[in-house]
Amino acid sequence: MIKGACLCGAVAFRLEGKARDILGCHCGQCRKQSGFYWAATSVADDCLVLERDEGLAWFRASDTAQRGFCRLCGSSLFWKPEDAPRTVVAAGALEPGHGLKMACHVFMEDKGDYYEIGDGLPQFARFSGGENA
Amino acid sequence: MLEGSCLCGNIRFSVTGAPQGVSACHCGQCRKQSGHVWSSAFVPEADLHITGEVTWYEATPQAKRGFCATCGAFLFWKAHDEDTMSFALGALDGPTGLRLEKHIFTADKGDYYEIADGVPQE
Repeated sequence: MIKGACLCGAVAFRLEGKARDILGCHCGQCRKQSGFYWAATSVADDCLVLERDEGLAWFRASDTAQRGFCRLCGSSLFWKPEDAPRTVVAAGALEPGHGLKMACHVFMEDKGDYYEIGDGLPQFARFSGGENA
Repeated sequence: MLEGSCLCGNIRFSVTGAPQGVSACHCGQCRKQSGHVWSSAFVPEADLHITGEVTWYEATPQAKRGFCATCGAFLFWKAHDEDTMSFALGALDGPTGLRLEKHIFTADKGDYYEIADGVPQE
C-alpha cells in the first residue's frame, strides 16, 4: 500500500491495488500548475482512498479532465479524466518507499525551453499509449 | 520582459529585472507542493509585478509559498529575510530565453527519477 499527502496534510490518501509506473508530463497545463513539469502514477478510481479531504478542491482545466489540489497549501495532487475510471496521482505527494519508477516522458512537444531531460527514458510528443494502464 | 500566469489566469505577473538563480528544487516541500520538482528564478521583489489574489502558505516560519487557490498553480516563494522573490518557470508564457543553472537540495530528491541533464547539482 502506498500513502500520500499534500504539503499541509489537509489532504491525505492511500493507494490500494496496482499503481502504474510514473509518467513525466510536459504539457502546458501540467507545467503551469506544477511550476516545472509534473510526474504522476495512476490507479483505478476505487483504489484511491481519501483519508482526509478537508483541503481538496478541483479545477476544471479542460472539457475532459479536472485537476485536484489542496486549496490550503497549493499542492498539485490529482488529475481526473472524465472518460476513464482512473485517477492520476502526483508522484511528489507519495511517501518514500513506494517502489515506483519514472517510465517515460509525455507531451514533449509542449516542454519548456529552459531544461533538458537526459535520463534516457522514452520520450513521446503527445501520448505514450500507456496513460490508462 | 518575461510574463507569466497561473493555469486559470486569475494571477498574472511580469518580470522587469534580470532573473538570477535559475534552478530546479528537489526539497521535500517543493516536491510535495509541485507534485514533482519545482523550477524557479528570482529577482528583487520590486521587479516582480503581480496582479490577482495570491494565497500564501508558510510551510516553515522562514518563508512563504504563493499559489492560486482557484487552479492550484504553485507560483511564488519568498524568504521573509530576503528582498527577492522566486517565481515558477513553468508559469512563464512563450520562449523564456533562460537555461537551468543548477539543481538544489538534491539530497532530498525523490527516488523514482534520475537527474541526468548534466546541470550542476547542489
